[in-house]
Amino acid sequence: MQANRLLASLPRKSYRDLLPGLAAVTLDFGDVLYEPGARIRDVYFPDRSVVSLLTVVDGHSELEVGLVGCEGMVGIPLALGVDTSSVRALVQGGGAAMQMSAAGFHKAFNASAPLRHGLHRYAHGLMAQITQTAACNRFHRVEARLARWLLMTRDRVGSAQFRLTQEFLSHMLGVRRVGVTHAASALQRRKLIEYERGNIRILDSAGLEAAACSCYPLVRQLAENRQGASVRKRTYGRRQ
Amino acid sequence: MVKGRSIPSPDPRANHLLAALPDADYQALASNLERMPMPLGMAVYESGGAQGFVYFPANSIVSLLYVLEDGASTEIAVTGNEGLVGISLFMGGETTPSRAVVQSAGHGYRVRGAILRKLFESSGEVQHQLLRFTQALITQMTQTAVCNRHHAVDQQLCRWLLLMLDRLSSNEVLMTQELIANMLGVRREGVTEAAGKLQAEGLIEYRRGRIAVLDRTQLEARVCECYGVVKKEYDRLLSWVAPQGRASN
Repeated sequence: MQANRLLASLPRKSYRDLLPGLAAVTLDFGDVLYEPGARIRDVYFPDRSVVSLLTVVDGHSELEVGLVGCEGMVGIPLALGVDTSSVRALVQGGGAAMQMSAAGFHKAFNASAPLRHGLHRYAHGLMAQITQTAACNRFHRVEARLARWLLMTRDRVGSAQFRLTQEFLSHMLGVRRVGVTHAASALQRRKLIEYERGNIRILDSAGLEAAACSCYPLVRQLAENRQGASVRKRTYGRRQ
Repeated sequence: MVKGRSIPSPDPRANHLLAALPDADYQALASNLERMPMPLGMAVYESGGAQGFVYFPANSIVSLLYVLEDGASTEIAVTGNEGLVGISLFMGGETTPSRAVVQSAGHGYRVRGAILRKLFESSGEVQHQLLRFTQALITQMTQTAVCNRHHAVDQQLCRWLLLMLDRLSSNEVLMTQELIANMLGVRREGVTEAAGKLQAEGLIEYRRGRIAVLDRTQLEARVCECYGVVKKEYDRLLSWVAPQGRASN
């Protein structure tokens, strides 16, 4: 049972042809898969792992512009004919993934129209995610943005409990650590999360969704509909 | 243009992406290209709406905007004659959360999405060019996300002016402060203040509804890194981009 939904959506034959080139790997929290400007050597199809796409600003600080989980692939530039990454890809949630070499990917990509179509649609969806982030960064409050990113991580990790250091959070949100502390404390005071020593636990899903900015339902729908595969129905309780 | 002709015949290859296609591919498309006026404010596509056509600007500039529920908007990217508008039609994505609006009037060429998609599927070179343009667009969108988070209004205004200038053949942008405010997603007062600063520094001259860039070099020195990152990526990925600004044919 293929947990990466992009791979799972391929017709049987396409998937079987791909299989020899795929290797099951474990991505570890904090691993850097790509640096900006570096040649992409391998692509990754996450299972329960989650990868952050970060731009590097002013030479050092970072801003998260996208999240890739089981709905997609890390290494999308290869599907667009570009062999270098323009972002840093950082493992934010450790776990299983399928890895494929760039050479293997090119071969599979050229041979399979369903794979090409799936990846182009995914790339388009990633652009929608980035668009959302651009608007979000312009208009939404830190607390609401934090709630959104926490929910997106939860959706990809598949658990209400995960690790996120303050440093990561400050990159996700593009604010300094004091801003992170304030936002996280506010959510904690509202009994929506528990946040201790880098460990997040979502206590109230429905409440957190209500607290999240309006970007959240939009990006979630995009991620779930993307492959046209059956949408995993989850009930989160009523939004107020 | 050919001397002695009083009316230049419309040439889709004023759009540099079209001009870069291999001749056979261009010819396959040419009879399906329709010259269209692109007046200021025209909606090339709306969010959630079906997009039937792909547009190739000849001398107009199109803004991709994200509009929130409360009506506030912010520009995510701009496209002029270096590219096309309507990538959903060959990327196969669902409808986009943004809308595309003509921000600088002119004309362009449109073709039915289905026709371009067919060419995209059948020609490796066309696919290659279109996808690399898509990657460049992703970089522009990403950088906008960064800029919106990290940089002050006056730097964002510099970035916006430079992106526009690269796609225009003059040093003047016709645009009200109100519209610029919508593009940058800030209050009008913010734009007034930022424009005032740049004017005081001798970089621009701002009169009602138009901004003339007086010192482009200084503007490039003043802008945040976001402009350079995007320019470098476009230069790198799009073989048809002239190194300094956009040369008109």
